[in-house]
Amino acid sequence: MDLFDNLALGMSVALTFKNLALCFLGCLIGTLIGVLPGVGPIATITMLLPITFGIEPIGALIMLAGIYYGAQYGGSTTAILVNIPGEATSVVTTLDGHQMAKQGRAGVALGIAAIGSFIAGCVATLVIAALAAPMTRMALLFGPADYFSLMVLGLMFAVVLARGSVVKAIAVILVGILLSTVGTDLESGEERLTFGWSEIADGIDVAVIAMGLFGFAEILRNLESSQTRDVVKARIGNLLPNRQDFRQSAKPIARGTFLGGLLGLLPGNGAVLGPFASYTLEKKLAQDPSRFGKGAIEGVAGPEAANNAGAQTAFIPLLTLGIPPNAVMALMVGAMTIHGIIPGPQIMAKQPNLFWGMIASMWIGNLMLLVINLPLIGLWVRFLKVPYRLMFPSIVMLCCIGIYSVNNSPFDVVMTAGFGLFGYAIVKFGFEPAPLLLGFVLGKLMEEKLRQALVISRGSFKTFLDRPLSASLLAVSLVLVVIAILPSIRKRREVAFQGAD
Amino acid sequence: MTEASPERAQMGSLIRSPLDFAGGLFLIGIAAVGYIGGFSLPFGQLSGIGSGLMPRVVAVLVAAFGIVLILQSFVSAGERLDRWAVRGPILVLSAVLVFAFTIRSLGMVVAGPLCFVVAALADRSTRPVEVLVSATVATLVCGLLFKELLNLPIPFDPKSIFGFMYGPYDALKAAMKAFVMSGAR
Repeated sequence: MDLFDNLALGMSVALTFKNLALCFLGCLIGTLIGVLPGVGPIATITMLLPITFGIEPIGALIMLAGIYYGAQYGGSTTAILVNIPGEATSVVTTLDGHQMAKQGRAGVALGIAAIGSFIAGCVATLVIAALAAPMTRMALLFGPADYFSLMVLGLMFAVVLARGSVVKAIAVILVGILLSTVGTDLESGEERLTFGWSEIADGIDVAVIAMGLFGFAEILRNLESSQTRDVVKARIGNLLPNRQDFRQSAKPIARGTFLGGLLGLLPGNGAVLGPFASYTLEKKLAQDPSRFGKGAIEGVAGPEAANNAGAQTAFIPLLTLGIPPNAVMALMVGAMTIHGIIPGPQIMAKQPNLFWGMIASMWIGNLMLLVINLPLIGLWVRFLKVPYRLMFPSIVMLCCIGIYSVNNSPFDVVMTAGFGLFGYAIVKFGFEPAPLLLGFVLGKLMEEKLRQALVISRGSFKTFLDRPLSASLLAVSLVLVVIAILPSIRKRREVAFQGAD
Repeated sequence: MTEASPERAQMGSLIRSPLDFAGGLFLIGIAAVGYIGGFSLPFGQLSGIGSGLMPRVVAVLVAAFGIVLILQSFVSAGERLDRWAVRGPILVLSAVLVFAFTIRSLGMVVAGPLCFVVAALADRSTRPVEVLVSATVATLVCGLLFKELLNLPIPFDPKSIFGFMYGPYDALKAAMKAFVMSGAR
């Protein structure tokens, strides 16, 4: 079997002592930072990006993937113990996870989250390995016009999945695209929107925007809400779920893995849907739905499995098509580019070691999370008891050191402060920051593909409709927009009618 | 105040969603900056798009969505504007700026704790001793992690200001090296 040959090649890369150590270190530091309340995977990866700089590309990517999983799992830990979700995908975990913790079953909740994530991770790794080759072959059929339309589709998905108004979601993506045009134009060499600042002649670093919008802006918002954090005071209890717990969570884990993995494949942050879908499904299937929200173990096991499966299958569009499906993957593009790797269909052919090594390390990373986290939960609990008034200055300082180290540039730090204020403002005006980051990363690619497509077609926009692949992608995008707009039209009508009454 | 309130009530009835209205103005502001920034760039033809097309088209679209939001805010009711905090943003962002302006010259040893202390002021319940102790600890941990363990080229000690102390030392070293070299020849 080709699949197993490839996985064996990957294992041979990932199982060297050095790469194992990097994977371990990545998972550990990723969890350490990810556990901090209000620090999600995006801020964690940005903060820790510089520590991978001195490492050769394969090791660096393995470590980054480890940081990503660590941050994900750290977010779940905070969700269960402190009731603060680090990011959207662990919101659901707070519902039943924190209730379990209050009942003195925090250990079991954390344990089943780790086990569910591990099982989901194993399956997702196999899915990635199996889909990689066919997806890559498919990617070779894509012309520039098709790529452009695919990215339009991805952005439309992001619009549909964003909370609140469709107009605001589209607008914030456009702002991201506008930001992506800052810097030197690749074809003509002209400086664009730099207003004479040589520091941004190379464009704005994705890390600067990510850190501003997700690191600093998040702190500013946390500071004003002055929420009382109730770190669980009940004992953590046994870590290993008992037989009944296992019986209750086996099927939710399987279903969660399937749902999360499938949704993670969608462009435009489908992964965020996984946990919600899984929670809803489990609640529907449960014999006694009233248990949900009061510490039902299925409500932790299913969504956590879905969360992790989605987090991992989201790598597929990135690694095979070169298109990041969500904001975290957008950041991964930046990280890979720093190491001289351009994500896309050519990686698998040209650097099979790197490609399969990274996939194999995903599985190892999941195993390590299980090994690291279960014994270290006591440490995380103590960590979380540090009051926020001391926590947030440390986070600010870490962010500064991290962002300075990306380019050794004080100007980057100043710019990040600016984007922190910008991020605070857009949230205050009711916009979401995640689609902006996605728009920023896709914007550059979209402009490139648009230009290429129009050069090939000698300036005719018909090329986007003449190519069947592109036309069908655009058609799906259109359907998505209509779906997104319809309910809000209906709602607005209702509001108008109520006003008339 | 009493004079302003009827006027505000009238404005309030006109703008039914202050949040969307402000958001729309914000978008138009961004679009204006983008449009001005891309104003002098060539538009190009469709078969060879110039560097100015994307920024200007996107800026116009952003402005269009801003106008839609503003129009919406007159039609459908929505949320009020959230109160903006002042103390938090000013102090946290100042802390970041302080770090940016001191890291090159003074190194992490000074920039780190300075940044920590300024940021810590954003919370009113902060106690001085607690902050100083944790600032020191955090800086040491970061130094150990980023400098010793990971070998990042981040400046750690204030060499550029106390450079004169390194001066004689470096000169002595150079002189000895020259002496050894000449002896070897």
